[in-house]
Amino acid sequence: MSRLYTPTILGLVLLFLIGPFVIIIAASLSAGETLAFPPDGLSLRWVIKVFEVESFRTSFGISMFLAIGGTLAALVLGIPAAYALARYKVPFGETIRTVVSAPIIVPGIIVGLALLRYLVVPFQFGILPALFLAHTALILPYAVRVVSASLNNLRGDIEEAAVLLGSSRTGAFFRVVMPNIRGGILAAFILGFVTSFNQVPVSLFLSGPGVRTLPIDMLAYMEITYDPSVAALSALLAFMSLGIVFLAERFLGFSRYV
Amino acid sequence: MSDSRYLSLEKLTLSYGNTIAVGDMNLDIGKGELVALLGPSGCGKTTTMRAIAGLLQPTSGTIRLDGVDVTRVSANKRAVGLVFQSYALFPHLNVFENVAFGLRLKGIRGRDLENRVEGGLKTVGLSDFASRKPAELSGGQQQRVSLARSMVMEPKVLLLDEPLSNLDARLRLEMRAELQRVQKQSGITMIFVTHDQVEALALADRIIVMLNGAIEQIGTPEEIYNHPVSPFVADFVGFENVFALENGKMKTTAGMADLSSDAPGGAVGLAWRPSMVALGSGPYQGTVRGSSFAGGTREYLLDTPLGPIKAETDASLAAHEFGAVLNFDLPVAKAAQLSRLG
Amino acid sequence: MFQNRAEAFALVLPAAVFAGVTFLVPVVVLLSEGFRGADGWTIQAYIDFFSHPLNRTVFVRTLKLAAMVTAVAAVIGYAAAFAIVNLPPKGKGRMIGLVVLPLMISPVARTYAWIVILGRTGIVNQALTSIGLSDEPIRFLFTETAVFIGLLQLFLPLMIISLVSALENMPRDAVPAARVLGANWFQVFWKVILPLTREGLVIGGTLVFTGSMTAYITPAILGGSKVLMLETLLYQRVTVANDFVAASVIALILIVMAFAANLLLKRLATARNKR
Repeated sequence: MSRLYTPTILGLVLLFLIGPFVIIIAASLSAGETLAFPPDGLSLRWVIKVFEVESFRTSFGISMFLAIGGTLAALVLGIPAAYALARYKVPFGETIRTVVSAPIIVPGIIVGLALLRYLVVPFQFGILPALFLAHTALILPYAVRVVSASLNNLRGDIEEAAVLLGSSRTGAFFRVVMPNIRGGILAAFILGFVTSFNQVPVSLFLSGPGVRTLPIDMLAYMEITYDPSVAALSALLAFMSLGIVFLAERFLGFSRYV
Repeated sequence: MSDSRYLSLEKLTLSYGNTIAVGDMNLDIGKGELVALLGPSGCGKTTTMRAIAGLLQPTSGTIRLDGVDVTRVSANKRAVGLVFQSYALFPHLNVFENVAFGLRLKGIRGRDLENRVEGGLKTVGLSDFASRKPAELSGGQQQRVSLARSMVMEPKVLLLDEPLSNLDARLRLEMRAELQRVQKQSGITMIFVTHDQVEALALADRIIVMLNGAIEQIGTPEEIYNHPVSPFVADFVGFENVFALENGKMKTTAGMADLSSDAPGGAVGLAWRPSMVALGSGPYQGTVRGSSFAGGTREYLLDTPLGPIKAETDASLAAHEFGAVLNFDLPVAKAAQLSRLG
Repeated sequence: MFQNRAEAFALVLPAAVFAGVTFLVPVVVLLSEGFRGADGWTIQAYIDFFSHPLNRTVFVRTLKLAAMVTAVAAVIGYAAAFAIVNLPPKGKGRMIGLVVLPLMISPVARTYAWIVILGRTGIVNQALTSIGLSDEPIRFLFTETAVFIGLLQLFLPLMIISLVSALENMPRDAVPAARVLGANWFQVFWKVILPLTREGLVIGGTLVFTGSMTAYITPAILGGSKVLMLETLLYQRVTVANDFVAASVIALILIVMAFAANLLLKRLATARNKR
């Protein structure tokens, strides 16, 4: 193969995948009124505007709450399930695994619509709790999968060893299993957080007065105006994701778990 | 209770659905014995070991330890130690904390804890490794940590699962000596599970050979090695030419064949090691179908009317060529006399 | 492996019940609505749906775009994955990191970037007019091309990482062995690499295809109401006409297509291998 092959193909792929972000960052630093590249002069006015838009602040808070709370809830449900599926002969184990991981297969928009129609409307269930349930259900498959993967990398006999040394079964889980799957749990948390925070289809129908996730709010804002503040917000979100991934990779070799 | 029945299994049965892993097994093990459970994979030896440890619940039968029925006692209260084949060290704890794990659960703290952990590490020669993590140790060292971790708990019985199989040849010899030393020093009752007859013969005071979930033969290494009672044990310890007897004749694939001298009374089968086959003269004839040099000896595979025969001669003798027709004898006096055929 | 079934059940039950109640049951009820008629079960809603030309167009467009994105992603994916697996270990890790990176970034942000690039005053149009290839700005936004590009950028990383891991798991000597036996590069790819990496291709292909088919953001932003796809159509039916039956029909179509795509890709990959 030609020596030029590798740099050429990888350069083009990266240009296609990452180039748009460079452009978005540049566009968000524009001093002009409209979205343009190259930007009309440099300024931080659109970046500042992002923080001044009231609805962005609210929806950011809601998205944060869903991403953190939903992921924690998914882990609380998912870790015991992953543990049982990895270490026990669970009756109907495969069926349960399918049920738990179904939200990954079914398009999110349907989940949101179903919850709206059968939970929110008939039972006067709040939008925010419904969003919370939907996001938890959505993250559950990731939590189970990532934690399962790190359990599978951990030999099951250390629990037996702990039991033979006098520990109870529950004690063995907290003393020797948990410390060894901490990395996997953290990875699942980050993956769940990012998935939830960026999620659109599930939240599409689950929005009401004053209750909207940030991506939905951005879509709504874009219908009104194409001013560079959405670019600025996009850039900020990209940096936030990058920061999280960078820290995760740095401190626990995140990519091993995904 | 007497010391010779320190651990007894009475009619122990473990089954999974319709498969019986261990069936109706009776066994007594004396205090301070070093016993090997020997057999091929699937023979039930690991199941038996796990039942003794309390990791598997027997379908029926009783396990008695030190005069007490422990069948329903859970694994964490049984005072049985187990050194896992994979060592099962806790990866997040250093060597000291691995060894201290069980002691801490017993509520032992401070100076007492340190003394006992250090004592345990000293016994296995790893005093300088207390602060290392398991991943920083060699396989042999991990095994010794695992041994120390179980030993400091002063279990009534210590079980070892294939203790030497993950070690290279040189370490294996070392570890074998180490295990014997630790056992003699502490006087602890040890049962180890192995599929390797060499290991069992070298290490154990007594060998229990298992097959298909049942005990095939119990005996000292000498008894097992020299006087196998069944075709399976005979083959397992190297008697590779096994024949059933009927009316004083050998049953072969090609019909009945005469023995070269009178059959011994009481035996239902005879077995010869390759080295017992006398090549060069005798009433039988065979064609050399294969020969291989094995250092001190040369091994032959003969095609004979009795079926394939494995023979062995001193390597200093001239080699027989492929296709050569040789006379040979199966001397009855040397043969192992089998008392069972099943 | 522990034996206690009651314990096992207690551990999996919360997750299973949660997924069942908040997810499985509502979705199944929603899907059943599409089969409910005035008197008993019927597939009338499906007949109605497909008798409408717009719906047919959207259905075909969704399949077409998803298939095209998958095919192009597979070609680029192989090209990129070859280059990546041949990098030295350190470079390989970094490169995989860079490829995966976009997956962590909000799809809204990712799609939004294309407005800057493909818009009336975007880079592409500026370039085209300045070198005189076009007198006035060409319309890119709200075309199938824009949606195609957006989807490709969104899902290409999934294909690349699937193929990288498939190529890495390939027996090391397979390609040299085929070369020694006289195969040219085309034959090596077709007879050796493709069969040996088919699992990765199936995984990547399923991810890209179902992802493209069920994408909402990209067609919403880059396609608008001019280039509807099934998800944007579903949203429109519900918000504009409160038509839950159509929503249910589209939902089932999406789910069935996702499974069908997976089966079909598996079949294709094995058939290729058997020859």
